Formats: sequence, C-alpha cells, structure tokens
Amino acid sequence: MMSNLKLPKGILSRKFVFALVVLGFVAILPLFVRSDYIIGQVFTVMIIFALYASSWNLLASSGQGSLGHAAFLGIGGFASALLATKLGMPPIIGLFLGGLMSAGIGFIIGLACVRLKAWFLAMVTFGFSVIAITIISQFDSVFGGMIGFPTPSIVPQVLPFFYATLVIVAVSIGVIYWVMRSKWGLAFRAVRENENEAKMIGINTGKYRLLAFVISTFFAGLAGGLYAQSILFIQISIFEPYYSFLPLIMVVIGGLGTIEGPIIGSMILVSINSFLPLTDKYLQPLSPLFPGVSNVGPPLRLVGLGLFLIVVVIFLPKGITSLLHKAYNYLREDTSKAKRIERQG
Amino acid sequence: MITSAGLAETLLWGVANGCIYVLLATGLNLIFGVMKLVNFAHGQLLMVGAFVAYQTTVVAGLNPYVSIFVAMGVVALIGVLLETFAFRKVRGTDKLNEIFISLGLIYVFQNVATLFWAQDYNIRIPSPLSGMSLSLGEISLGYDRVLAMAVVIIILVGLVLLTKKTKFGLAMRATSQRSEASMLMGININRVYLFTFALGAALAGAAGALYGILFPFNPAIGALPTIKAFAIIIIGGLGSIPGAVVGGLLYGIAENSAVYLLGGIWQDAIAFTLLIIVLVIRPTGLFGEKGE
Repeated sequence: MMSNLKLPKGILSRKFVFALVVLGFVAILPLFVRSDYIIGQVFTVMIIFALYASSWNLLASSGQGSLGHAAFLGIGGFASALLATKLGMPPIIGLFLGGLMSAGIGFIIGLACVRLKAWFLAMVTFGFSVIAITIISQFDSVFGGMIGFPTPSIVPQVLPFFYATLVIVAVSIGVIYWVMRSKWGLAFRAVRENENEAKMIGINTGKYRLLAFVISTFFAGLAGGLYAQSILFIQISIFEPYYSFLPLIMVVIGGLGTIEGPIIGSMILVSINSFLPLTDKYLQPLSPLFPGVSNVGPPLRLVGLGLFLIVVVIFLPKGITSLLHKAYNYLREDTSKAKRIERQG
Repeated sequence: MITSAGLAETLLWGVANGCIYVLLATGLNLIFGVMKLVNFAHGQLLMVGAFVAYQTTVVAGLNPYVSIFVAMGVVALIGVLLETFAFRKVRGTDKLNEIFISLGLIYVFQNVATLFWAQDYNIRIPSPLSGMSLSLGEISLGYDRVLAMAVVIIILVGLVLLTKKTKFGLAMRATSQRSEASMLMGININRVYLFTFALGAALAGAAGALYGILFPFNPAIGALPTIKAFAIIIIGGLGSIPGAVVGGLLYGIAENSAVYLLGGIWQDAIAFTLLIIVLVIRPTGLFGEKGE
C-alpha cells in the first residue's frame, strides 16, 4: 500500500503527490478539449483566478478581508501592460515588475491598514480601489480610458500561454502554501484568531499583518498581469468592485483559510460565469414578469450568487472544501471498516 | 467664480444634503452601537426605501411626504427578515462572516431591484413642491430640501425620545453597554437586537424616500451612500448618535464644497480621501472611544 509507506514529509507527502496528480490532470486537459475558447477563456482564466483568489485568501487568513483587491489586480495588469507597450520591455519582466509594483503600493496601503479593525479595513481597501479608478480615469492618454489598449503576452496564445500560466500559477500557489504552512502562516492565524492574545505572546502583529498584505498584493498583481495577457487587452473596468468581490466569493464558497478552497472556488465561479449564460434562453418564459429587463438571465444569476454566498456562510462556514473533506473521511472510514470486517471475518 | 453668496448657498445645500446622510449614518451607528454588527448592505436598504416610496407615490397616489412613512415600515419589515434569517445565524462567529453576508445581500437587493424596476432608470419621486424654492436674499433653497430637513429633525427627535425615555430604549442602551449582563438582568436581547436592526433599517428607508425626492435614483445607487455613511460614522465616532448627526452635516458640507471648489469628479473621491486620512491618524475614528 502506498499510503502505508513512511515517506519523507514535505517532499513526497500524500498532499504533494495529490497536487502533482491534479497538476498533471490539468496539463493533459487540452488533449480532450479542443476548443480554443474553452482553453483560453475558461481554463486559463480559471487558473489565473485561482491565483488571485489564493492571494486574497492569504490576506484573509491574517484576519484582513480586503474589499478592494481589484486595485492590486489592476495595478499589476496596467503596470505589466504599460511596461511592455510603452517601454518595450519583454512581457515576462513586465509581469513580475507589475507584481512588485502592486506589492509596493500594497505596502503603503498595508501601513495604513495594520491598525484597523475588520470593517474599517474593508472600507479603506474598498475606498482605495475607488480612488484608484478616479485617479486613473484622469489620465486617459496613458491608461487608455474606457476603451483600454491591447497588450502582448509572454508566449503566444492559447496553448503555450495556457501552459506558461499553469507553471507560473502552480509555483505561486506553492509559495503561498509554503507561506501559510510556515511560522509566518501560524502568526497570521494567531493574529486572525485573537489579535490581543497574539500580541501578548510576543507576536509583532503589525509586522505580520503588513507581511501578509505585501505577499498577497504581489500575487494579486501577478494575477492581474496574467489576466490582462490572457485576453491580450486591458481596460479600466479591471478596477471595478466586481473584481474586488470575485476573489472573496470564490474563497468563501471554496473554503476560507485552506489552500484548495480558492482553487475550487475559482473553478465554480468561472464555470458559472462561462457556462450558465448558455442557459439564458430557457429563462425567457420568465421575462413577461419583468418588463423592464431585456434579458432576465444576468440579474437572476447574480441574485442566485448572492443567495448562494449567504447560504454557504451560514450553513457551510468552512466552504465546499469541508464537504469534500467529510466525503473523503467518510469513504476512508468506510473502506477501513470494510477491511477490518474482512480481516476479522 | 467663487463668491460669498455662492459659498453660503453651498453650505446651506450641504446641510440639506447632509440630512439624508445623517439618517443613514444614524441607522448604521444605532445597529453598530447595540449589536456590534456592520451591515455593508445598508445603502441597499436606502435604495429599496426610495423605490417603495416611489411606488406608493405614483401607484397609490399618496403624498410623497406620507410615503416616507410607508417606506420606513416596509424597509423595517425587510430588516426584521434580514436579522432573523441571516445576521442572527452568524452572530458570535468571525467578524468577516458578517461582511460576507452583507456582500451577498448587496447582490440580492441590487439585482432584485433591477428585475423589478430596470425600466424606471434615474427616476425621481414626483413632489408637488418641486421647482419652488425659498429665497433668502441672494441665496435660495428648494422647499423640498427645507421639508427634508424638517422630516429628519422630527425623526431624530422621535429616536432620542425612544432611546432616552422609554423602557425599551433603556434595554437597548443596556444591551449596547454589556450584552451578557443585560441578558442576566432579564432583558431579551434577541428582541432588542431584532428591534434595533428594524429601527436602523427604517431610518435607512426614510433616508431613501428623501433621497428619491431630492435626487434621481436607480437600482445601483446603494453602494456610494453606504460608504459615505461609513465615512461619517468614522468621523463622528462609532456608536455615537450625536456624532453621526454632526458628522453627517459636516460631511454634506465638505462634499458640496468640494464639488463647488474642485469640481464634480471629486464628489465621491472626497469620501474615501477623508476616510483614509482620518483612519490613518486615528484608527478608531475622530471621536471614537479608544480600543475595546
């Protein structure tokens, strides 16, 4: 039995093997799905948003729920796109510089946020994203205004970019996992559980909150750069609250504070956004009830999403991940019970 | 041109607009003070209030100033449902859960309103007084704004009487100070919470009806008033009702002056700039108590 072998921890643990299997599965997905649209605009976006949601999750694991993460997604996206188009930098360098720039601004915003309580922090981050959009819309000649501008990508589109994204995101999520498992991650959780107690046992809470902010905003910026390159285009709408709430919904639905939660959440949300519009035509019989709306699909979907979020928070506070864990444990118990009976019988 | 009459008018209009923010911020602060709960969907209640008042004015033909009280009642009822079926379920858990729930509520309210009222985009509640204004020398103020101020004063006086002179107000104040001790003294804090939330929602409904009389509105207007109300209670101090009143008026003046002196684009950015500056200097708000 594989699972009975004593493997060295960390390198070949069961989780690591599982992650490799998942990664391998994602890597061979394009063999079965031949549609460029689904690979480029669904799978790639899913992977990118898994990173974006993971970055938000890291911040939330230190008790800081940001409502303005779109600002960092946008900063990373615009910085990488501008560096590539205006300064002619290779897109790969622009991508990481965009992440660094986002982290730099994240450091400044983090400084303002470290002493704030949960709801104040939510307001300040949300406010920052609105200020960012106000400032950027003043400089239409640089940022392209409402229309936006095209940006090159690190490697040609669809398949090469899909694999490049997969590698970058896998490494990044690996780093996030490593941070959350490390002493830092422990300190983040201590700050989240009870800031005063954490202070009392000698944790420099401000330092760790700031650290979480900087790491999180770096990866959010990286995700922004990747996102802009995945659609080969960037426009100011990337700063909109929709993009701020997206990682939150993904993480809450997937499972807050877990590594797999944001990934599962991203899979669910991106699938909903990509495939549910196809069912809009079946909702047409409802439209006479709502004469003002030409297509009842989008608002109905958003109502459903809001209700889904509320139901998950109330009845499944640890997200869908906790359901999967329960199912896994149940199955394992079942097989071990069956084995025991077999042995005894 | 910046003239003294222009400035005076800006101040007066700022106070009138500030009245709506006062109501909204008072409701938010009341809920926070008693329940230690932050409802980010508070502005959506304002939006619902505006639409309810619009319906009762246009369809049922009521006077818009009567429909304010209808809006208060309906939104209070919605508040009862929200408290019972959503916020009560996560009470005592992680603070982030409340933020998540209110975010879900924002999606629900905004899109249900879109479904029902998308055709009424940027409407206003028709008022018999619209277009008429009170002139004081060089400056003038619409009668609607004068009446709005009067309505706000009446509601605030009622609120103060309720919290200071009635037994239930006493229970509310006791709960806000020590919820567990009040429970031991025989106060049904579930009922206090429910009533407080409904009251806060009713204030948001009234603010919405007044908003609908003074400004054009649509299903998406809820977000900004929430943030402004937040900025106000941060300036005025969390949980303090006089703070919300002073903060609301100051905020209305600051916003109107910013539009007058700097230009319209700053109307919304000013809220955040103010909010961030205040919070960086004083993390608990200007007049807020220190720590917990």
